[in-house]
Amino acid sequence: MASGPNEGAQASNNLRSFFTVPLPIKRLFDKFPLTTYPANDLPQRSPSRRHDNQLFVFSDPTNARRGRPSYNPQCLKWQAYLKFVGIDFEITPSNNHASPTGALPFLLPAVPAAGASNAIPSHKLQKWAIEQVHCEEEQQLHLRFEVYAALIDSRIRNAWLYMLYLDSENFDAVARRLYVTPSTTNSLVRAALALELQQAARDELLKTSQYIDVADLEANAGDAFAALSALLGEDDHFFGRSDPGLFDASVFAYTHLILEEGMGWKQNRLAQLLREHTNLVQHRERLLRFF
Amino acid sequence: MKLQLHVWGPAFSLPSIEAQCLAAISYCSLALPKDSWELVASSDPSVSPTGELPALQNGSIWVSRFRNIVDYIRKYSNGEWDLDRDLDESDRADNTAFSSFVESRGQALIDLSLYVTSQNYYGNTSPAYGSLLQWPNQWILPPKLHSAAKTRTEHLGLSSLDLQAMEDQRQREHSAAVAAGHIPRNFIQQPRETVSGLLGRTSQQNHFRIDALTGEFFEPLEAMLGQKSSLLAASTPSSLDCVALGYLSLALIPDLTQPWLRDAMRAKAPRLSAYTERMRTSCFGETRIEAVHAFSPESAPPSSLPWRAPGRISVTAVGTTLLSTLADSTPFLSEIRRNNRLKQEVESVDSGLSPRERAAVSMYADASKKDMYVSVAAVVGGVAALVGYMFHAGLIAISSGEDEPEEEEEEFSDYLDSGEQPKVADFLSGL
Repeated sequence: MASGPNEGAQASNNLRSFFTVPLPIKRLFDKFPLTTYPANDLPQRSPSRRHDNQLFVFSDPTNARRGRPSYNPQCLKWQAYLKFVGIDFEITPSNNHASPTGALPFLLPAVPAAGASNAIPSHKLQKWAIEQVHCEEEQQLHLRFEVYAALIDSRIRNAWLYMLYLDSENFDAVARRLYVTPSTTNSLVRAALALELQQAARDELLKTSQYIDVADLEANAGDAFAALSALLGEDDHFFGRSDPGLFDASVFAYTHLILEEGMGWKQNRLAQLLREHTNLVQHRERLLRFF
Repeated sequence: MKLQLHVWGPAFSLPSIEAQCLAAISYCSLALPKDSWELVASSDPSVSPTGELPALQNGSIWVSRFRNIVDYIRKYSNGEWDLDRDLDESDRADNTAFSSFVESRGQALIDLSLYVTSQNYYGNTSPAYGSLLQWPNQWILPPKLHSAAKTRTEHLGLSSLDLQAMEDQRQREHSAAVAAGHIPRNFIQQPRETVSGLLGRTSQQNHFRIDALTGEFFEPLEAMLGQKSSLLAASTPSSLDCVALGYLSLALIPDLTQPWLRDAMRAKAPRLSAYTERMRTSCFGETRIEAVHAFSPESAPPSSLPWRAPGRISVTAVGTTLLSTLADSTPFLSEIRRNNRLKQEVESVDSGLSPRERAAVSMYADASKKDMYVSVAAVVGGVAALVGYMFHAGLIAISSGEDEPEEEEEEFSDYLDSGEQPKVADFLSGL
C-alpha cells in the first residue's frame, strides 16, 4: 500500500540514485584531501658531480657524455655560446618537465648564487656568462644584431617548424625518434604526444598567417639565408669578430642541424637552400670544431 | 585592365587599418603609374581566394601578402616597376632583415596598442571597424581579429593591458568570495584600473617591459635612418620604406585613448617620426583620408589615392559568410575546413609548387584529416564506455514497464530494512 508521501520519497530517491556518485569513485573522493606534495626537486642524478656547471639540454646520454651538439636549436644555441665564450660545463640530457621554467635549456651553476632558485633559465644565461667571464654584450655593440636576430627567430624558425613537425616524413623519421620515443614506452601516450607537438607547431605558424603556405615559408627562409650570407661576407665570424659569439651561436644552431647528416632528414629543402651560400656552410664547419 | 589592390578599409585618417595593407598601398603608389591601378577597400578577406588581405587582383589572378605582391608587380612589368632595382647585395640583405624585423616586432607593438589595450580597442579600434565593415561582418570580424592579436602577443606577458579581461576576472573572484561568505558584500570596493594607473602605479613591471619593447623596436630603425631621407643607402625609397611606413604610421598617426605607443615613438625616435610623417604625405597624399572617400570616390579630393568603390555585398556572400562562421565555430567541422584550405591551396596548379612538394603537402592534409577522425573515434569510444559503465553500475536501467524498477528497489530496501541478507545458496537452490 503506497501512500502519497511515500511515493514522493520514492521518486526523489530514484532521482537521487541517478545523480549519486558511483561507489568506487565516491570511495576515492572520501579520501580527500589527498596529500599535497611539495614542489618537484631537481632530477636526482644532477647533484652527483657538482664540481662543474651542469647544462640541461635535449640530448641522448651517449652524445651528452661526449659533449656533442644537442638536437634542439634553442639548446644548441646556448650550448654553443657557452663553449665559445670559454665556460666549462657538463651536458645532462633532460626534457621540459625537468625545468623550473618549463623550457630547456637551463643551467645549474657549480657555485650557486645567493638566491632562492639556483637554476638559470635560458633568457638569463647571457647575463650569467658575462658575469662569469666578462665577455662583451654583443647586442650593445652592433646595430644590426637585433635586426638580423629577428630574421633567425621568425623566418628561419618558421621554416624549421614546418620541416621538423609538419612534414610527415620528417616527423616520423626525426621528431618522433628524438622527442617522442625517448620520453615514454606507452604507445598511447606517444601518439598523444606526437599529436600535441604537431598541433603546437601548426598553431604557431597559423598565428601569423591564415593558412600554411609551404612555398612561402621556404622562400622566406631562402631570403633569410641570403641576407645572413651577405652579412657574414668574407669574415670568419659575424660582425667581423675574432672569436665567435652569441650571434654565431644562433646561426650555427640552425645551420648545423639542417646540414647534419646524423639527423636523418627525409625531405631537406632548407639544406638545398643553405648550400647555395658556401660561406654559411664553411662557418658551420669552422664552429663544429669546438665540439 | 587595371590592377586592383584589395585592402582593409581606411581608419584613423590612414588609407587602411592594417599595416600590411598600408605597406602594399604605399608600394603601389610609389612604384606604379597612377592610372595603372585601383584601390578597393573591400575589407573582407573572403573576396580573395587566398583568404587574406592585402590581395592584388589582375583579372582572374590573385596574389596576397606584401612580399608576393611586390614580386608579382616586378614580373608583371618585366622589372620596370621595382623599387628595389638599384640595391646592391648588402642593401638587399638589410632590406630582408629589416623588413622581417619591422614585421615581427612592429606587429607585436601594434597588436598591443590597438587591440590588447582594451581602452583603445573598445574606444577606437572597434568603432573604426564598425564604420568600415558591412553587415554581418562588423559583428564577426572584429572579435576574431581581437583574439588573434591577443594570441600573437601572449608570450610578451603584457596581457594585463587587457583591462576588460582583468575586470571580468576580478568580478568572478569577487562573486566567488561573496558566495563563499568570506567578505561582506558592501566591503568590496571595485577600483577601476586605467592603463596609466597600471603603468604608473600598480605595475612597474609593465612599464619596464613596454619601455624595453619600444626601445628595441625604434632604436635600430632610428640609428639606421640617421640623417638620410630613406632607411637604406639609396636616396629613393625601397620596399623596406613601404613596410616601415605601414607599421610606423599605425604607431604614430592614430589618435588613441591611451597613446603610449605614439608617446614612446616621439620620445625615442624623433627623426623616425618626422620621416614617417614625410613618407605618409608622399604616399597617401596631403589630405586627411576619411572612410567616405573609399566608398564613394567622387567625394574624395582629386589628388588622393585611386579609390574605387567596393561592390555591394550580395545576399549569397552574406549567406556564405554566415555559414562559414557557423562552420568555423563548430568543433571538428572547423578542422576539416582548415585542412581543406591547405589542400586546395596546394593542389591548384598555379601555386608554384613542384609536383613532389604538392604530393607531400596533400599527404600532410590527408594525415591530419586522419588525426581528426581518430579524435572523433576517441570521443565516440569514450562516450560509449561511459554509457556502458552507467548501465553496468545500474545508474541507467532500460525498463520495459514504468513500475518495475520501483518494485525491485522496494524489495531490495526491504531486505536492507529487515537486516536480512539474501544468501547465494538460496538463489542457487531456486534455479
